[in-house]
Amino acid sequence: MMSDQFRKVEPYSPKSSPRGARSPVVSRQDSSGTLKTTISLGKNPSIVHSGPFYLMKEPPGECELTGATNLMAYYGLEHSYSKFNGKKLKESLSSFLPNLPGILDGPGQEDNSTLGSVIAKRPIGGKELLPLTSAQLAGFRLHPGPLPEQYRYVSATPPKRHKTKHKKHKHKDGVPSGQETPLQDSSNPDTYEKKHKKQKRHDDDKERKKRKKEKKRKKQKHSPEHGGLTPSQHPLP
Amino acid sequence: MSSPLENLETQLEMFIENVRQIRIIVSDFQPQGQSVLNQKIQSLVTGLQEVDKLKSQVHDIHVPTEVFDYIDQGRNPQLYTKDCIDKALAKNEEVKGKIDSYKRFKSHLLSELSKTFPNEIAKYKAIRGGE
Repeated sequence: MMSDQFRKVEPYSPKSSPRGARSPVVSRQDSSGTLKTTISLGKNPSIVHSGPFYLMKEPPGECELTGATNLMAYYGLEHSYSKFNGKKLKESLSSFLPNLPGILDGPGQEDNSTLGSVIAKRPIGGKELLPLTSAQLAGFRLHPGPLPEQYRYVSATPPKRHKTKHKKHKHKDGVPSGQETPLQDSSNPDTYEKKHKKQKRHDDDKERKKRKKEKKRKKQKHSPEHGGLTPSQHPLP
Repeated sequence: MSSPLENLETQLEMFIENVRQIRIIVSDFQPQGQSVLNQKIQSLVTGLQEVDKLKSQVHDIHVPTEVFDYIDQGRNPQLYTKDCIDKALAKNEEVKGKIDSYKRFKSHLLSELSKTFPNEIAKYKAIRGGE
């Protein structure tokens, strides 16, 4: 079909330009055969004489910042570079968030707790957060007793945590085994900070005690500073 | 005064601590623990309100979604930063290599052309300002 159409059109097509081989708009002034002009088309067509070379353009402007610069140094990121490349980073998430309780290093897909799912399926928002009424709180009335077996796996904590130290310590004081650390009022940031600091102090004290144990055994018994109470047993101010 | 990010971090840590305490309470629930549990639940709401208040302070902080993949796989998110730095450095070195190669190529080409076309290259250099 297409070839037939072309065949029909062909007889009417001119075999040569009526003006010959010359461009209808720009007349050739240079009979030597060397084109020394740049022709710009568009809204304002122009003809610029550009010297003795073909297609010569203005060179691109010099850029101050190129890939030849050490960009790490230019943006002052050398410190970050040496920080991340100097020492070997630990792979696990728990090494980045050492204060968080529970097991963090497993893949989130296992219990559908991925951050990706929060983005993929955004939670309902835009509503005002209000304290629960007493009627709403009634929904949280629990039966006494331990949790059923199938829900207890959540309570497992990694063995290397500082929390386990607390656990041992608290067992001595007769706190139920389910409670790893004393329940403090976490709504107060001061108390929260103190909890961390006290733990450190407790460790220091232990070492100091070991060293001076034999020499100062008698003194320790009577001294208020080295008395029976460890720092974590002192009442909170 | 601490930065907005530090404030948010503290609030989130306090919230998580609160949840942990609720877990302890409910894992072996005692009848007298009901009032404490109710308090803790209310403090959860308060904690969420505090976090919500802080969102305006951190709205200009952008987190690449790729970081979430690292976290979801239980990996240290600093590894993402390290990977980015490594990639940026490698690309920087690659581009520097290209630029240096082109510079060498240009000077070599000019020197070779000036041997064959000395007049043209002299004109070219005159136009280009002695390049």
